[in-house]
Amino acid sequence: MSPKHLSRRCFLQTGLVAGILAPTLTGRDTSSLFNTVGSGPDIPGGHIREARYYDKIGEKKIECKLCPHECRIADLERGNCGVRENRNGIYYTLVYGNPCSVHVDPIEKKPMFHYYPATRSLSVATAGCNFVCRFCQNWEISQKRPEQVKTIDLYPAGVIKAARRNDCRTVAHTYTEPVVFFEYMLDCAIEGKEKGIPNVMISNGYIQKKPMRELCKYLGAVKIDLKAFTEKFYKEQCSGTLKPVLDCLLVLKDEGIWFEIVVLIIPTLNDSPREIGQMARWIVRELGQDVPVHFSRYYPTFMLKNIPPTPPALLERARKIARDNGIHYAYIGNLLSDASNTFCHNCGKLLIERIGYHTVIRGLKKNRCQNCQAKIPGVF
Amino acid sequence: MMFTRRKFSRTVLLTSAGAAAGLLSTQRLPGTSPEESMVVLARSQKLKRIRHNIPEKHVVPVLNEALKRITGKSSAEQAWKRLFSRRERVGIKLSCLPGKPLSSSPGLVMSIVRGLISAGIKPGNIFIWERTGRELERAGFQISRKGVNVFGTDVMSDGGYSERIEISRSVGTCFSRIMESVDALISVPVLKDHDIAGVSIGLKNFYGAIYNPNKFHANNCNPYVADLCAHPLIRKKLRLTVCDASRVQVNNGPAFFPRYALEYGGILLSTDPVALDYTGWKIIERERRDLKLKPLKASGREPRYLFSAMKLKLGQARESHIRLIEI
Repeated sequence: MSPKHLSRRCFLQTGLVAGILAPTLTGRDTSSLFNTVGSGPDIPGGHIREARYYDKIGEKKIECKLCPHECRIADLERGNCGVRENRNGIYYTLVYGNPCSVHVDPIEKKPMFHYYPATRSLSVATAGCNFVCRFCQNWEISQKRPEQVKTIDLYPAGVIKAARRNDCRTVAHTYTEPVVFFEYMLDCAIEGKEKGIPNVMISNGYIQKKPMRELCKYLGAVKIDLKAFTEKFYKEQCSGTLKPVLDCLLVLKDEGIWFEIVVLIIPTLNDSPREIGQMARWIVRELGQDVPVHFSRYYPTFMLKNIPPTPPALLERARKIARDNGIHYAYIGNLLSDASNTFCHNCGKLLIERIGYHTVIRGLKKNRCQNCQAKIPGVF
Repeated sequence: MMFTRRKFSRTVLLTSAGAAAGLLSTQRLPGTSPEESMVVLARSQKLKRIRHNIPEKHVVPVLNEALKRITGKSSAEQAWKRLFSRRERVGIKLSCLPGKPLSSSPGLVMSIVRGLISAGIKPGNIFIWERTGRELERAGFQISRKGVNVFGTDVMSDGGYSERIEISRSVGTCFSRIMESVDALISVPVLKDHDIAGVSIGLKNFYGAIYNPNKFHANNCNPYVADLCAHPLIRKKLRLTVCDASRVQVNNGPAFFPRYALEYGGILLSTDPVALDYTGWKIIERERRDLKLKPLKASGREPRYLFSAMKLKLGQARESHIRLIEI
């Protein structure tokens, strides 16, 4: 599909479709699409699939090998994610084909700026996450178990059909943490690759190398939330660790898949110039100058309500540090700003203009700057 | 177990009306001294399970005797009244994850219900609950909204959990709406080993009262179990723990694993949930030693959360400060 301008009509249509599908996010207005709460995990063979990455360690116990938590799980227990359960020594995902949220979004909302800009993405999520970010915007689904949210039946073939029907260029696995619904995402990606609808993974990057490499064979692109550049932050604010996320980014680089990075800047917690400088230098050194980095604005929510929203100046400072350290494409997100536009890294001309989620391609032809003919990194 | 209307009407008739003399929070129970806590351990061949259940007729006298010892009252009725007042709504939190073989016995739960009714509490103000109705049914309970309420959090509105996030030290969670709607709580766990926590008894039973227990298993659940139970919804409402030790899982818990399940024939009872858990832990350690299993500490899963709970003043986790009464 060629780059496409999102016209006013198209934009309104997107909003309309999103509006129609919106109730799925909170599940307040039940419709015929929904199962009842709690139906998800117990439909035999329906939403239950044997997990792909785990080891049996004897006496009906298993060790999950999907994410770096490596949960050791006794019979009848679930992993940290809350969506995988040991049943009699076999480990199952409980959320296959059972999303709790299905929307049509502009791909810029992920955010993803260098991958089919100005197109729509069918965005799906099941319950669950392998982190507990104290500032999670979607905690009402990410921190819940599948039986605690309203869900619909939507298997991989249906996901791809729905994407086509809604004029979506891609499918995005997003909102919660797609690592925890790995099998579902993988099968969607395989189906999508066959049918010409690439899948993108919007993730915290907390996944082991082997499953990530398997995903890379079928995904079109990945966006990683790099929450901070200190282990302290990951431990205290996310219940995770930084090192595996960096390892995941190295895998993505090694696999040659398109990826972008988002950093949510939270005042006093991860906004020091020193930390952002270290992060930027690591990115340039290990991943290269062409990886887009989005500095997003934080808003108080969930368990982190005592810190006010990020002042725009902090975002601008972070962006400047990134650019000064050599990152070609540093953006500001969750805030109306000229820094959401894409400028040619070579000549500085405007390539893509963004106002909110309204995106207009200005000076880009295929993947080249119309002004200087420089090759612009990404998939356009 | 059937909690029919008729059965409960009969139960009510059999119990005397009694004067309403609820627990006065300013009075200290014999077992709730900050210096010394009391735990009653009742053991008998009669308390062993028959088809996964302890016969109620054998439980009632033992339970009443244990309660009299704990409260210092001369009659069972007075003992129940010492802990619960007749206008209160009482939630009985069961432990039903492993199904019938290792869940709170219906016979034991029925005996507790009888005791509450003897204290003048209306059957409709008694709530027997677990995370899901399915778990209750698998454990042998019949879902009911008439008379004594028996149901899971999952059938309550909006998924059953409060919308508000409650923060209790390291724990951020939403509680079962049942927790908010009752005045008092009784925890009825099963004495069992836990593959991560070390033991899962009365305190950890409240992992079944929150929407995200999976998030609190790191570091052997320490300090998460303690931090959770320090929340006022538990700290202020939990009056009594009655642990079903008729069958004890001494290894490979929390699921039922016959090879390590002992027919122990016991009931543990205390108003101090930490002291009860500590005592239960020591019982499990003794039985593990007899089976030549490694101590939990050597297995890397000593239940240190009990010491964290003691630091939070939830109860006693020092042997020298626990008075164990065996009957």
